[in-house]
Amino acid sequence: MTRRISKYKRFLMMNPIIQFFKFIYLSIKIMIVVAGGHGGTREIN
Amino acid sequence: MSRIVILGAGIAGHVAASHLRRKLPKEHEVVVVSPNSNYQWIPSNIWVGIGRMKPKDILFPLAPLYAKKHIDYKQAKAISFYPEGDAEEVKPYVLAEYVAGANKGTTEKVTYDYLINATGPKLNFEATEGLSPGKNKTHSVCTYTHADEAWNALNDLIQQMKQGKKAKILIGTGHAKATCQGAAFEYILNVEQELRRHKVRDMAQITWISNEYHLGDFGMDGMLMSYGSNIMKSSEMVEMIFEDRGISWILGAGVNKIEDGVAQYETLEGDYKTESYDFAMLIPSFSGHGFKAYNKDGEEITNKLFKGFMIVDADYTPKPYEEWSVQDWPETYQNPSYSNIFAPGIAFAPPHSISKPRKSKNGTDITPAPPRTGMPSGITAKLVADNIIEMIKHSNNELHHKGSMGNMGAACIASAGFGMTKGSGVSITTYPIVPDYNKYPDTQGRKLGKTFGTIGLAGHWLKLALHHAFIYKAKMKPFWWLIPE
Ligand SMILES: Cc1cc2nc3c(=O)[nH]c(=O)nc-3n(C[C@H](O)[C@H](O)[C@H](O)COP(=O)(O)OP(=O)(O)OC[C@H]3O[C@@H](n4cnc5c(N)ncnc54)[C@H](O)[C@@H]3O)c2cc1C
Repeated sequence: MTRRISKYKRFLMMNPIIQFFKFIYLSIKIMIVVAGGHGGTREIN
Repeated sequence: MSRIVILGAGIAGHVAASHLRRKLPKEHEVVVVSPNSNYQWIPSNIWVGIGRMKPKDILFPLAPLYAKKHIDYKQAKAISFYPEGDAEEVKPYVLAEYVAGANKGTTEKVTYDYLINATGPKLNFEATEGLSPGKNKTHSVCTYTHADEAWNALNDLIQQMKQGKKAKILIGTGHAKATCQGAAFEYILNVEQELRRHKVRDMAQITWISNEYHLGDFGMDGMLMSYGSNIMKSSEMVEMIFEDRGISWILGAGVNKIEDGVAQYETLEGDYKTESYDFAMLIPSFSGHGFKAYNKDGEEITNKLFKGFMIVDADYTPKPYEEWSVQDWPETYQNPSYSNIFAPGIAFAPPHSISKPRKSKNGTDITPAPPRTGMPSGITAKLVADNIIEMIKHSNNELHHKGSMGNMGAACIASAGFGMTKGSGVSITTYPIVPDYNKYPDTQGRKLGKTFGTIGLAGHWLKLALHHAFIYKAKMKPFWWLIPE
């Protein structure tokens, strides 16, 4: 095992309070990508 | 009155059936033909495979739901296609064989006005000699029964490790052209975390084996993504995670034979090697179901409908990788020969892979096949349903709803370990799924910002929230349609 994720980063990744806000942020961000819509490619180009 | 027949009740088939039923007046018939009596939320099979969920947590029976929602359900499997009918039947039909109940073994001509083929993949274990779930110490998590068996075997091994046994665990792809690397990636991280939870991590050597050229290819040619304030390649992200978790890897490996506890594989360099293991989970190759099709005179026309998977509005002209374009990918999933047949989800034949194709020095193709994950499967099914609804309502053949994987985003929340406080997830979104090198030439065909990755506990919560949301949606509970695909 080679430590590639620092203790500080791991703390940020696993802290429930920080991650709660991250959860809200991610939910919105994913919604934007998903609800961003879809379409064809042939007419656009 | 129109009759829409949907083959398959997986993510694509069920999404199509539920939207059609909600939006079409009752005089139109919606018929689902599918052999499995249950709906399963496949992404959560990963957690069944580590014993943190039971099969019952990820499935529900289809018959009562369909009866309540006025969807006609036949527990049967499609065998062959007659898109022009035959000498006795003027309407197009699919020959289906019942797999359960009083009619078991009997066949029926299921006639249709519109047909949605959402039969997904055949799990083609036979393509790799000796690869079969539960045999030769190899397992699968592709269905809930496979995943449950995988957990029983893994649990046995964990108990042996507790008694002092050193074990080798091999997880990845079981064929040179397998896809679904994402599922194997989730499973390896979940297994690693479970071994830590059971305090036997130091007894196990865990190895990733894959047909990918780079880590993090995922059958999508990898991704360049925003990662916090940095820009990172998916290969760097996965390498960071694997090193941090003590997982070693074998890349460019085309597994071609499995013997008891030994995987034989060919490398891109053309070498033939073996890897031994005590427990393996190897994703098989996916193929079409081998359906045959006939015209009204009974002559075989399979090549009008199928190219392995079903032929749709893609550009299948063979061309070199350098000439591939995002426009090769289908937009409406309509069969070009029969305008009333559609194939969303995994059932459609992709024009080519997304990852750069590579051959070994011996000429063996070792390239991940293109994934079609849950989100594009749902989106393509919904747009097919919407087009059929418009065709019925306006009695024309114009298709207004389009959704190419080259103009569609996808979110992949890869579980990296289960637990409300100890869990983790690798959340990745990609836009577009198929890279558009003309539109985004400097960022490997993807839009940064909309293509991003992040790791942490929130990813686990998100994956769990999606599990509950999508099962709620699939059960067609109040306002289910507000939850996007
Ligand atoms: C372990 C695993 C984990 C995954 N995790 C994720 C994830 O986290 N996120 C994500 O987006 N995607 C994930 N995926 C991918 C996702 O499950 C697929 O994209 C999705 O299931 C494809 O939907 P589908 O309807 O096309 O095919 P399927 O879901 O495979 O459905 C096919 C249906 O057709 C039926 N059928 C088969 N043969 C016949 C026949 N002859 N006649 C009639 N019906 C037939 C089957 O019974 C089934 O109901 C995962 C896949 C696996 C295997």
